[in-house]
Amino acid sequence: MSVTRAEIQRIAALAELHVDDATAARLEAELSRILDYVAQLQELPDGGDGDGDPRAGRLRRDEVAPDRLEAPPTDFAPALKQGLFLVPRLGELDRGEDESP
Amino acid sequence: MAWETVVGLEVHVQLLTRSKMFCGCSAAYGDPPNTNVCPVCLGLPGALPVPNERAVRLAVRAAFALGCAVHSRSIFARKNYFYPDLPKGYQISQFEEPLATGGRLEVVSPERGPFTVGIKRLHLEEDSGKSFHDRVPGMTAVDFNRSGVPLIEIVSEPDLRSPAEARAYLTALKQVLRWIEVSDCNMEEGSLRVDANLSVRRPGEPLGTRTEVKNVNSFSNVERALAFEQGRQIAVIEAGEQVEQRTMTFDAATGEVRPTRSKEIFSLALSGLAGFFSLPVDFIQYFLDACQVFFS
Amino acid sequence: MTDFRAAASAAAERIAACEAKGTHAFLAWSGEAMLEQARGLEAARADGPLAGAVVAVKDVIADRWFPTTCGSRILEGYRSPFEASAVRRLREAGALVAGKTNCDEFAMGSSTEYSAYGPTLNPVDPARVPGGSSGGSAAAVASGAVDMALGTETGGSVRQPAAFCGIVGIKPTYGRVSRYGLVAFGSSLDQIGSFGKDVASAARLLAAISGRDDRDSTTLDRVPLSEPGPAPTSLAGTVIGVPREYLPEGLHPGVRAACDRALKKLKELGAEIRDVSLPHTKYAIPTYYIVAPAEASSNLARYDGVRYGLREDGGLADVRAMYRKTRGAGFGTEVRRRIILGTYVLSAGYYEAYYGRAQRARERIRSDYAKVFAGGVHALFTPTAPTPAFRLGENLADPLQMYLSDIFVCTANLAGVPSLSLPIARDQGLPLGGQLIGAMEGESTIIRIAQALEAALEPTAEVR
Repeated sequence: MSVTRAEIQRIAALAELHVDDATAARLEAELSRILDYVAQLQELPDGGDGDGDPRAGRLRRDEVAPDRLEAPPTDFAPALKQGLFLVPRLGELDRGEDESP
Repeated sequence: MAWETVVGLEVHVQLLTRSKMFCGCSAAYGDPPNTNVCPVCLGLPGALPVPNERAVRLAVRAAFALGCAVHSRSIFARKNYFYPDLPKGYQISQFEEPLATGGRLEVVSPERGPFTVGIKRLHLEEDSGKSFHDRVPGMTAVDFNRSGVPLIEIVSEPDLRSPAEARAYLTALKQVLRWIEVSDCNMEEGSLRVDANLSVRRPGEPLGTRTEVKNVNSFSNVERALAFEQGRQIAVIEAGEQVEQRTMTFDAATGEVRPTRSKEIFSLALSGLAGFFSLPVDFIQYFLDACQVFFS
Repeated sequence: MTDFRAAASAAAERIAACEAKGTHAFLAWSGEAMLEQARGLEAARADGPLAGAVVAVKDVIADRWFPTTCGSRILEGYRSPFEASAVRRLREAGALVAGKTNCDEFAMGSSTEYSAYGPTLNPVDPARVPGGSSGGSAAAVASGAVDMALGTETGGSVRQPAAFCGIVGIKPTYGRVSRYGLVAFGSSLDQIGSFGKDVASAARLLAAISGRDDRDSTTLDRVPLSEPGPAPTSLAGTVIGVPREYLPEGLHPGVRAACDRALKKLKELGAEIRDVSLPHTKYAIPTYYIVAPAEASSNLARYDGVRYGLREDGGLADVRAMYRKTRGAGFGTEVRRRIILGTYVLSAGYYEAYYGRAQRARERIRSDYAKVFAGGVHALFTPTAPTPAFRLGENLADPLQMYLSDIFVCTANLAGVPSLSLPIARDQGLPLGGQLIGAMEGESTIIRIAQALEAALEPTAEVR
């Protein structure tokens, strides 16, 4: 199964990961090899229970009891102003209910 | 009638819980920014989600009220995409095995009287934080107080046939959800949000291409936006062109609906939240709880 | 009353000596921090089961004394504002946290060579790797710097370094130890495990950190792990299965000889040795290398420079450019490889072909184990690693080669069953490990068998 350079770049964009040409070339070869290797799973017949883990998880009581931060966001945030986390402005992408002044 | 309009609505509703969906932070609206946050809803390394029992109970109550089939086993999944107010880089939602499916809501249409709208599915998910653009010039500012607040998403079948019917559906839905004390459905405070899907076709033809309209902040604006979009699509087709499948945004000032660059939601939905067992629904207990509310 | 301060000072000297040799087991450690902890424990008259023990913590586990870097640049200097539940339990048991140990970046690797901060050297032979991804913790115990250490497993990352360094490593049943505060790599596989110089100390550490935690909804609700008892002198009545897929033709002769010797000892102790089969073993590595990267690509999406950690935004106008530059600069080669691989197998069009299939293969691997244990077998015995510790740089050219070193250990992670590695021999001076695998929640059984074997074997004996 060979992965193309274009696919590597598309996947890298999905994963918001900058990948330069040299790295993309290397990844193309490595990933193709790995995918060839994992393709042996095709030997297994399809179907079968595949119902996943039957265990049910635990739920939490609805009460306000937060796990406190033992250090405030100012200690670890790269950029904080007026209590808000700051990032370079989002480009044209607009979720639709974000606020603009 | 020359044209038939087909509308389906996806409604996101915040649940009336004290704490968030996956952590013990307060779910209250209006507190100073980033004061109701913790490792879980900030997506800090090593934090883990633990689901809120009342959120499940309220979601099931809503599902019963809407006549849905409630599934005793459902699964959380991840919807991965990158956005500044999405702290984990994924939203915990439900995908292939949602909490409930197959319900209905009775609505009175101004055009054709009482009719039934099908409810395709109802599932649980968490809300994202809130982004503010240009409050600080050139920057986007994020408040994570809302991150992790419990939501149910209610998806209707495309059974609505006009902007006015869409509004009637929303009014009826709000009435039900408020009456059973699942949500206060306050659009101004963001506890109810609507994404509207609209397409047009000549009667008897297959469904046309639909667009999705977002950013409408009141029921009357939903009606206005859909009326505009209906007209726009008809005009496009009558001009001999094709309707493009786009995400649109509503401009309340002008009443226009414009295309917006759609969010690159490349949903890498890991069905079955890795490291998370299935959602247990104590069917009998929740059914009795719902009955108690409905008949009290 | 334990002399905590003496324990702290002695440990500080031993750690300094270990690091002075260039072992680089630690990314952060502090004699001062240990002394401060000692004073606190003294004042509280602490006397828990780990009172005075000096424990090192792998750097993918959050603590409040030191940074938590996960061996990555993207978390360089990051101080977690909360503590992992396992670390809290350590402290409550009276242990001193010595520092944070080196590891492959985000626990992805089998040699600790993928750490962004440089490799760790195997204390037994510094030209060789200590194994990975918990190589720093293994080296810290093997060199005598600390009594015990916490590591983590996603695909064998405690047992394999334990084998390479000649110490004991235990991976518990999935859900035995809380993952709250363990930086997620493959959430359905991750578990915190323990290292010790012998079975009893590794078991004692595991017992101290185990148990239900409300902050982790996957933790077991069952009978807690008890403290290890004395080593049994007889294994009469114990049935030990040897899965034939784990002793293949062409297995390294030293590893083979070591296993034969250990099995002979087990027989002498009265155990019944039975030939069994885990038929889907050959699919373990392909399954693991789809499931783990897929989950990793999702779990590592949170490292985006928005709320903590590295941010590269110099002169960038747009947040997406910030994401790409930050993640491109902050993640190393192997992590990037796995994120791309994981994103690929989850993407539309490939999801069913890869991830869907891998999930079904995983179910088969799980049921292989269930069937074998339902057939009256108490534990399985296998080699831990296909070779002794390899040389630094030996497996870096071909990632697939590196992945294959996990061939005997990763089925236990996929199935969620507990597993332990103990030193059983040496081959030309290099440690070799034997692996015991138990049924779900069967830690006590494998610990008991391991103690008996340990007492009967001379673990540093040359095997050829």
